[in-house]
Amino acid sequence: MSTQTPVSTTTRSAAPDRFVKSGSTGLGKQIFNVLTTTDHKMIGILYMSLAFAFFAFGGLLALGIRAELWEPGLQVVVSKDQYNQLFTMHGTIMLLMFGTPLFNGFANFLVPLQIGAVDMAFPRLNMFALWLTGFGSVIAVSGFLTPQGAASFGWTAYAPLSDTTFTPGLGGDLWVFGLALQGFGTILGSVNIITTIITMRMPGMTMFRMPIFTWNALITGVLVLMAFPPLASALLALGADRRFEANIFNPENGGPILWQHLFWFFGHPEVYVLALPFFGIVTEIIPAFSRKPIFGYKTLVGATIAIAALSVTVWAHHMYTLGTVMLEFFAFMTMLIAVPTGVKFFNWIGTMWRGSITFETPMLFTLGFLTTFIFGGLTGVILSTPVLDFHIQDTYFVVAHFHYVMAGTVVFGMFAGFYFWWPKMFGHKLSESIGKVHFWLLTIGFHMTFLIQHWLGVIGAPRRYVNYLAEDNFDWLNQVSTVGAFIMGASTLPFLLNVVLTHIRTEKIEVDDPWGFGASLEWATSCPPPRHNFHSLPRIRSERPAFDLHHPEVAAQDHMLEQEPAVNVRTN
Amino acid sequence: MRPAARIFWILGVFFALVAAAYGTVTGVYEPWGIEMVGLATVIALSGLGFLIAIFLTLTGRHHSFGSADSLDGEVEDEPGVQGSFSPYSWAPLWASLGASLCFLGIAAGWWIFAFGIIVGVYGVLLWVLEFSRGQHAH
Repeated sequence: MSTQTPVSTTTRSAAPDRFVKSGSTGLGKQIFNVLTTTDHKMIGILYMSLAFAFFAFGGLLALGIRAELWEPGLQVVVSKDQYNQLFTMHGTIMLLMFGTPLFNGFANFLVPLQIGAVDMAFPRLNMFALWLTGFGSVIAVSGFLTPQGAASFGWTAYAPLSDTTFTPGLGGDLWVFGLALQGFGTILGSVNIITTIITMRMPGMTMFRMPIFTWNALITGVLVLMAFPPLASALLALGADRRFEANIFNPENGGPILWQHLFWFFGHPEVYVLALPFFGIVTEIIPAFSRKPIFGYKTLVGATIAIAALSVTVWAHHMYTLGTVMLEFFAFMTMLIAVPTGVKFFNWIGTMWRGSITFETPMLFTLGFLTTFIFGGLTGVILSTPVLDFHIQDTYFVVAHFHYVMAGTVVFGMFAGFYFWWPKMFGHKLSESIGKVHFWLLTIGFHMTFLIQHWLGVIGAPRRYVNYLAEDNFDWLNQVSTVGAFIMGASTLPFLLNVVLTHIRTEKIEVDDPWGFGASLEWATSCPPPRHNFHSLPRIRSERPAFDLHHPEVAAQDHMLEQEPAVNVRTN
Repeated sequence: MRPAARIFWILGVFFALVAAAYGTVTGVYEPWGIEMVGLATVIALSGLGFLIAIFLTLTGRHHSFGSADSLDGEVEDEPGVQGSFSPYSWAPLWASLGASLCFLGIAAGWWIFAFGIIVGVYGVLLWVLEFSRGQHAH
């Protein structure tokens, strides 16, 4: 087995001395590591850094949008087209350059650790996928630097709006080809994750002993394989239209409907590509802070598979008002998704039920996620009903709904995961007190921004409009939302402060499991783990090997009636 | 291997059923006839599920995948080399830079595409030959 200097340049405590060769801390060496690493942990952290950078950028665009909507008239942007660019790139960035790479980041970092593997199955392909994601994102965003500005046809790029007649300019071309490129990165990353989970589990780590996060990463990977190829083909066809006048999405050939079908065939599963990994993250966090095993492990797995399978059969519920989709079929399938999602909530609450809960920051963010997602899920049931959807299609009600579903899940889930696995990634915890300020600012800001938009939508405010009239009486609702957005934006500052402060005053974690009740295998190795992850592997006899290892008395109780030796010792 | 294959068998069958249902209901009840885009895509999904399922089933028949699927698996069951892992590599950077320049070239100008081909060929050759020591050397 090849060995290399463990690579982590993000904090100085990230690479314990015993794994560092001399001279490996210089700046040149660090740049070399970032450019050439094949270590899944380093690549995972790079993915997360990339995603967080785009999160910040997309957030700034959102603040521009909200500031513009403060009062009637144009205040922030100089033209309507600029506003179109803002919301187009905000949506594109948040979905494809923040959420999706974040899934790859968490999955890269955690999956090999959780299944006891030394690395991902294809380390070089892993880095290749990261580069494609990064370069593709930069190409798509670089439209801002062109004279006509970035793409401005909405992140859905509906034909014929997205053709060269209605949206001329380089920005749209860069958007199309950048997204196609980074889509390939996502596909390759998912192939890697699936292969790793299928072939590289350690002895005894059966499929039904895998941590739920790994299960969700597997299923999300499959979902990416199902959703992203249609997007890639649609984007390349759109690119051919724009660059070579291929006329694939020409309205005369029924192109607009073809585009909508293909786009939403990607677009709806994409929502679950964003959601499922974060479901996995909270499923890891809830048992650790409830001091109970997961309630209903197998139903959770089944629910995840059901959500993934159903999510690819509901695409046209985004197109109810089109007039040519089978309303009954899609309404039925969409409402079906509420069932496995409800099962998940039942399991999460069942895990907490009568548990010995403590409210550390990761748990707070998890509860924040549960709150936002239940709201988003309920408005989702409203929107899945065609008779109701017809009235609120393309209003702020929809905007509020999908921000509750996606932004709530990804942002709260991401911070929950960051606070939870920060010690595993960098060897020290983030500050709890600053974390709590961060959580409350984010929660207040989030609900202030998006809750009010439901009513804004119900009284008829259309989405994607740069302006509204004074007699619409949208002013105070929009102003509440804008104030909330700025609170939400400000809530990132405590997080950054937290990262910097804890980095300066590092309290090195010496134990494998700083939270005390971690269940999955990543808590059975050092913080941060060595280059190939484990110096010794525990024996796997349940869904929570690290817990069995650190609390043998509980494992002994569980196995009292079984024949095998009750003591669960390290086997090598 | 078998539990993993089973997931893809389930997906293949599920999407075959969905394709049948979707084709039937749109064909029977809709004035516009069968909705071809969704039907084709769902059939392709079913094919994807079966493709992976058949591959995993056949591969699992011919190869042992160790004791990962054994409830009584021990760490000692799989001693020795875990595989060969590239310690670091420049190849992904060059290959992806080539691919990116090609895509950028289609969007922005063909001269960039030409540079992308050059860089990409270098990246692919580097990738393929990175650990090669000649044809008969080991």
